[in-house]
Amino acid sequence: MSVRLLALIPVAAAVSLALSAAVDAVALPLFLDTTGTILATALAGPAVGVATGVVTSAVNTLRNPTFWPFVVVQVIVALYAWLAARAGLFRRFATAVPAGLGLGVIAALASTPISYAVFGCTTTGGIALTTALGRALGLPPLAACFFGSFVTDCGDKTVTFALVASVLHALPRRTAARFPWALRAIGAA
Amino acid sequence: MRRRHPFTLLALAGALPALAWILPAPAGGMATAAAALGLALLPAAGGGATVARAAVLTAAPFWAFLLLLHDAATALAIGLRLTTMVASVVWVVAALPPARLVEALVARGWSARAAYVFAATLAAVPVLRARARRIVEAQRCRGLSPRGGLVRRLRALRALALPLVLSALHEVDERALALETRGLASGARRTALAPPADPPAERALRWGLAALCAAALVWRLA
Repeated sequence: MSVRLLALIPVAAAVSLALSAAVDAVALPLFLDTTGTILATALAGPAVGVATGVVTSAVNTLRNPTFWPFVVVQVIVALYAWLAARAGLFRRFATAVPAGLGLGVIAALASTPISYAVFGCTTTGGIALTTALGRALGLPPLAACFFGSFVTDCGDKTVTFALVASVLHALPRRTAARFPWALRAIGAA
Repeated sequence: MRRRHPFTLLALAGALPALAWILPAPAGGMATAAAALGLALLPAAGGGATVARAAVLTAAPFWAFLLLLHDAATALAIGLRLTTMVASVVWVVAALPPARLVEALVARGWSARAAYVFAATLAAVPVLRARARRIVEAQRCRGLSPRGGLVRRLRALRALALPLVLSALHEVDERALALETRGLASGARRTALAPPADPPAERALRWGLAALCAAALVWRLA
């Protein structure tokens, strides 16, 4: 791995953590904690993306210990983003938004067993409340837990994918050219 | 406690949650939660009651949500495990400065690149958070508002995120040049400046914790 790609990992991980904290300013119920993972994958490939996801989880764990068990979700997000970038899904918003929705479903499927087994579906207030809503609607415990994760993850990952597509298209060509996959991800190479 | 080897502190913080999940509830969870909160109360953890209070405040929302979603017995079992995990991590974060962990990793032969990635992320997070706050304030001067419909708020998010991410990506080249200047590209093994002492008693303690977890697992599976 080149030194430039190594330097990208902490920057992308810090972007995720800074955006997670800053999203409160616009009062949207989003995590955005996979933004750096998806961005690093689209810019530099799956190895950098997976490393960014693992580092994001490790550093987030120091702030909130409940993040570490979900490190596997970050890895899945990086691999999915890699497939999406290869398929050219970041080239237009019309493809990036449904791709983000697909990631939301996959992330919910991956995080539900962890959330259910380790945390009893109480990972965040939003997930706990939507899980309680699912229980009130008569869903069994595991299905209610998936419902909670599905509602939160679909919105979050859709917005994250759209945001990353937006960043990739706003990136100056000279800057993008320094990362091996950036131009291919937006169809400029 | 701060003078203990970083791997010993990490082993303690890892063993307590592992035992909380392995040992039968609620007695096992009570013992491990008490041990983790006891560690957090030690003055050497970096604040004594402050650390324990932070652990309790972090764990409290989980208890509320558990009581909302589960019966009392299940809530108690999961809550004690989560309290153990939260208190262990809050304690180890207070007792273990990241720079000391990096020194221990480098001294143990870990790649300087891995140590850099971990340490650089810890250093970059507060910098980017401060920049995000400045961007929010600047955008508020230009009319950014958390009110309004979903589309308006998503536009506001874009106005907040783009400057933050683009400015961060522009820094990558500067960081890469600094790393090359410091010889990180060479891949040569680094010598730790002040490697933490690792006495035989602490190594024995780490092996003992691993053996305890393995024995508990075998006992539970038998």
